Amino acid sequence: MASAPHGDAPEERNAAPPAKRASAPITEAGIRAEFAHHDGTVARVNNGTFGCCPASVLAARARWQRLFLSQPDAFYFDALQPGLARSRAAVAAAVGACDASEVSLVDNATTAAAIIMQHVAWSFAEGAFARGDVVLMLHYTYSSVKNSIHAYVVRAGATVVEVPLPFPGASPGAVVAEFRAALALAKAGGRSVRLAVIDHITSMPSVLLPVKELVAICREEGVDKVFVDGAHAIGQVPIDVRDIGADFYTSNLHKWFFCPSAVAFLHIRKDDPIASQLHHPVVSSEYGNGLPMESAWIGVRDYSAQLVVPDAVDFMSRFEGGIEGISRRNHDKVIEMGTMLAEAWGTFLGSPPEMCGSMAMVGLPGCLGIESNGDAMRVRDMLRNEFKVEVPIFHNSRSVEEGQEMAKDAKGDQVTGYVRISHQVYNVREEYEALRDAVHKLVLAGFSCSKLRPSGKVLSN
Amino acid sequence: MASDPASDDAAAAENGHGNGNGPSPSKRPRSVISAAEIRAEFAHHDAAVARVNNGSFGCCPASVLAAQAHWQRLFLAQPDAFYFHGLQQGLRRSRAAVAEEVGAGDVSEVSLVDNATTAAAIVLQHAAWSFAEGSFASGDAVLMLHYAYGAVKKSIHAYVARAGATVVEVPLPFPVASADAIIAEFRAALAVAKEGGRRVRLAVIDHITSMPSVVIPVKELVAICREEGVDKVFVDAAHSIGQVPVDVRDIGADFYTSNLHKWFFCPPAVAFLHTRKDDPIANQLHHPVVSHEYGNGLPMESGWIGTRDYSAQLVVSEAIDFVNRFEGGIEGIRSRNHEKVIEMGRMLAEAWGTFLGSPPELCGSMVMVGMPGCLGVESDDDALRARTMLRKDFQVEVPIYYNSRRVEGQEMAKDKNGDPVTGYVRISHQVYNVTEDYERLRDAVNKLVSEGFTSSKLRPSEKVHSQLK
Repeated sequence: MASAPHGDAPEERNAAPPAKRASAPITEAGIRAEFAHHDGTVARVNNGTFGCCPASVLAARARWQRLFLSQPDAFYFDALQPGLARSRAAVAAAVGACDASEVSLVDNATTAAAIIMQHVAWSFAEGAFARGDVVLMLHYTYSSVKNSIHAYVVRAGATVVEVPLPFPGASPGAVVAEFRAALALAKAGGRSVRLAVIDHITSMPSVLLPVKELVAICREEGVDKVFVDGAHAIGQVPIDVRDIGADFYTSNLHKWFFCPSAVAFLHIRKDDPIASQLHHPVVSSEYGNGLPMESAWIGVRDYSAQLVVPDAVDFMSRFEGGIEGISRRNHDKVIEMGTMLAEAWGTFLGSPPEMCGSMAMVGLPGCLGIESNGDAMRVRDMLRNEFKVEVPIFHNSRSVEEGQEMAKDAKGDQVTGYVRISHQVYNVREEYEALRDAVHKLVLAGFSCSKLRPSGKVLSN
Repeated sequence: MASDPASDDAAAAENGHGNGNGPSPSKRPRSVISAAEIRAEFAHHDAAVARVNNGSFGCCPASVLAAQAHWQRLFLAQPDAFYFHGLQQGLRRSRAAVAEEVGAGDVSEVSLVDNATTAAAIVLQHAAWSFAEGSFASGDAVLMLHYAYGAVKKSIHAYVARAGATVVEVPLPFPVASADAIIAEFRAALAVAKEGGRRVRLAVIDHITSMPSVVIPVKELVAICREEGVDKVFVDAAHSIGQVPVDVRDIGADFYTSNLHKWFFCPPAVAFLHTRKDDPIANQLHHPVVSHEYGNGLPMESGWIGTRDYSAQLVVSEAIDFVNRFEGGIEGIRSRNHEKVIEMGRMLAEAWGTFLGSPPELCGSMVMVGMPGCLGVESDDDALRARTMLRKDFQVEVPIYYNSRRVEGQEMAKDKNGDPVTGYVRISHQVYNVTEDYERLRDAVNKLVSEGFTSSKLRPSEKVHSQLK
């Protein structure tokens, strides 16, 4: 096992992971065993939200937790930092970083965003940026990141410009066009664009964006810094941080990279002077020693999720083709399942396969009448509670794009709701069939969201 | 009973397959916990180690760890259901349990965060915004103790000094003879801070300092701050809950934080931050990790800072149940820990020819005990090397404090041999400790003394010499 220490001797703890002998790929039964802790009665087609962690990695984590409980001082002085260094090195190797000093481990992408936004806020407060300088973000940027932008950079004086994105039916070209247009708007009147925040894979609706191209456009157009929020990306799509070329790149390792909840990395090029200006907001004794070290000690807490990255890498290597094989098969499967659902429901995929990783948006029959985020949430709850299907639902507001006609389903109803299905190694076809059949049942029963709205509930009582 | 019966309904709903017992079923009355049961609860501690340092990392009994594991399994089984049906109710129960324990007016006054270090960042980030946005003027003062925790000092530097504050430190005598000495120094430093009509925007006061560890008379100091027109008082009581009585209304600070994983038997890591609900500042504090809960109040913001393991924050009720298995509950535990740590401290001081660093009334469950001066601890590095040696060669875990000679005007206290005492151990006593732990520490130090050990032998230049042999 790569990371969990076996012996008491410090040399063992600090030793490089032993070489792995070649072994047969993991079997179906092996996979089932690794995820036996999942509630077997649930059609769990939502890996995207909370991810998953195999039993072998959880076991490695438990070993670290027991080590801490047994003798926490020795853990702190002898084991923790070497363990975190090994995890950072594993991440650096997985994302094509120059070296581990470019990698910081934090709880999640939300924390990484706060680190960057706080830095930008200081830049405004200390006069490096002028009031009214622009920060660019996507309309579909994750809500927590939008709040972070508001809480830090808008509060400090930035002007925020949003990039509208077409949905459904985006194409890389359409995304690039919208981005260029928004960037031109941002720069209007000679404004400085201090930061562009670009999702690698948006969350809701989920679309894989051509980030490398967008980063290049930012460089051409003189954007100061680019932050790629790749929260969903690692384990879904290949990541080469140098190829993508952002200033800051973050991704969660607990979503698609088989780490426990929760751990993410933030990558910053080491030759960038800004690297030493970023600080973890929870200031500890490591303040000033660089973000990797600051993030490695933010007070007493359970760091075990951050210590098992090498174990997650080992897990993935048990699959044919490793993580590339896993993500490729997930992609193929989710498109196959998404197409099956779309055909069954008379709807369509929200974006073309080349703009999907291991997740796909599938239109729900328009007769369900989803007309708000509240409706979408209530339908999701009902699917969970009555059908044991776990899938997030997106309400596509009619007011998004000027002049775009709302897409219709085979019956001519406007498609306002989409499920976001995920495929991970533990998923089986039956789960998507359960989702298909649940929605069919609702349609046949004449269900519409108005029945679940609060006033509707009172009437039915 | 500390746990809410409604938890069983919520737990049943959250996983939906009939396995619906919440982690805290009703308890029938039981007899006081026995010594054997205590040993079983802490069987996961490395038994070979004389673990007299509860103060640094705390401890967590097996029954609370089991409750934590139950929550972790719920999340792993069906994380969406956990998120939508279990998490917030569980956190609210924990906040309510804390509110009751600390005498808060209302559960809305309590936020749960990872640790006091995080609470400090929340308070100090707010102060930094106040400077940046002009409600505080550049040069306005922030007061802190010389012995403020290292991380908090850095946080003060990273946030408020950077934003324009003048930082004034209160020097504290150590070894310290009485609370009056502390109060006098505080008044003097406050006068310096207010010189020239300066505004004092924030006073950061430890309830129990970390190194050296001394119980500070916070209630009096808070009152002095009010008299003297200090805007806000933040009491960093990282060590307090479970060591000393905590009544936040009686203490009267604006912000009060304490770690629950040190002396309150919660797993690593969970702390609370208390703010008075009638204080307008309450809705101006924000968790630095901004999520979709931003603007919904600090308790809610702290209740969701992105996907992560919240299980340590979900077992406060179980920790209270554990505490109630002891005679006198947490008060009984505290007073017995205090008596024992003083008894053990005196035993060590007598054996070593030294003394306690502060009188018993300025101690909770920790005490500083002077080490024989002949050990020659002359720097923080010496102290750390001696600590490492005690861990590796003697299996004794105890933090060592180096008392700099540079404290103004004070003659360095001496041991029975006439050597200046420059090093102190900080011993802790918690329910799992036994007399043998302290005897092993005593004997280890005696051995070092009889062998003529001095700290100079561990310094790097000496190491090079010994490697060449």
